[in-house]
Amino acid sequence: MKSLTTKSVAAYAITMLAIAYLPLGLAGESVKVTVNGMVCAFCAQGIEKRLTKLPATKEVFVDLKQRTVAVEAKDGFKLDNKLISDEITDAGYDVLKMEASALSVADIRAQLKSKK
Amino acid sequence: MRILKIPLARAFALAACLCAATWAHAGPMGFKDSTMVMGDFSPNWREGWANYAFTPRDAVGAGGLWMRSDDQRRTRTFTEATYTRLVKRWNGEHSQANVWFVMGAGPVKGNDFAGSRTMLAPGISVDYETTRVYVSAMARLYRAQGINHDYGSLRAGFSLYEVDYDEVQPWLVLEARRMRGLSDRVEITPMLRLIHNRYFVDIGVNNAKQGRLNVMYIF
Repeated sequence: MKSLTTKSVAAYAITMLAIAYLPLGLAGESVKVTVNGMVCAFCAQGIEKRLTKLPATKEVFVDLKQRTVAVEAKDGFKLDNKLISDEITDAGYDVLKMEASALSVADIRAQLKSKK
Repeated sequence: MRILKIPLARAFALAACLCAATWAHAGPMGFKDSTMVMGDFSPNWREGWANYAFTPRDAVGAGGLWMRSDDQRRTRTFTEATYTRLVKRWNGEHSQANVWFVMGAGPVKGNDFAGSRTMLAPGISVDYETTRVYVSAMARLYRAQGINHDYGSLRAGFSLYEVDYDEVQPWLVLEARRMRGLSDRVEITPMLRLIHNRYFVDIGVNNAKQGRLNVMYIF
């Protein structure tokens, strides 16, 4: 009986953990950031390098003309908007707007390219 | 073709309508935790340096500069430790403007004096750029006991067409520069610049028909 109780508690705990982390496991979560001051390849390269190092980052895309930085989360991870904003600011640029997107970075890239 | 002999002030006025320095485009330092390496090579001017940005606004590094007078009789070799500071940045919708300060210090040697002297080289650089246009100016003092090689440069450029940042972008750049004491002439160099996401290369020929190569890489 005691063993059954222990197993039940363990199963309950595992179930709760799984539920708690389920939303983080959704693939394709991205954020689109509008940035001022990005005018050169070195700007883009700096931002890309810094954001790529973040543990939740799967892919980064920078579009200078559209002033957009797109970041996609790895499966099982959640993007930290404040951290992304801080990294871009630390790289020397101004963050104007951040918006969540269900699109992947590849889709955002295609979308932005179609606007040119 | 002779090098134009015009006063510095007039040269600056001429170039003011255009407008940097041997440092170019991205400024004299990279983003935080990056290392920037740069080289500038021509018959009378050979310079190389590297710096590391330990904050978004500060970098430390080291470099070497070899200079020769127009008559090829005098040379200077300056080895310096450098500190670079981004004093101010303005981020626009499609533009960026910066004010930079640099301080260099180290020994300078010459073939017209014995031993070495301590040289200080403070400088200031300003730039404005968009994805298509770039202008900048720089003034730097190279001073040691009995030596004054103050330096000024103006640079302006434009890109031939827009590209994505991960594609090579060609630019046409015009630079005017002068160094007191070693040259009483203004060197004017049109250059073709190729920029990619981690590097640029400038290739040009100055008004004395001397070749010029300028390279930069960010790690």
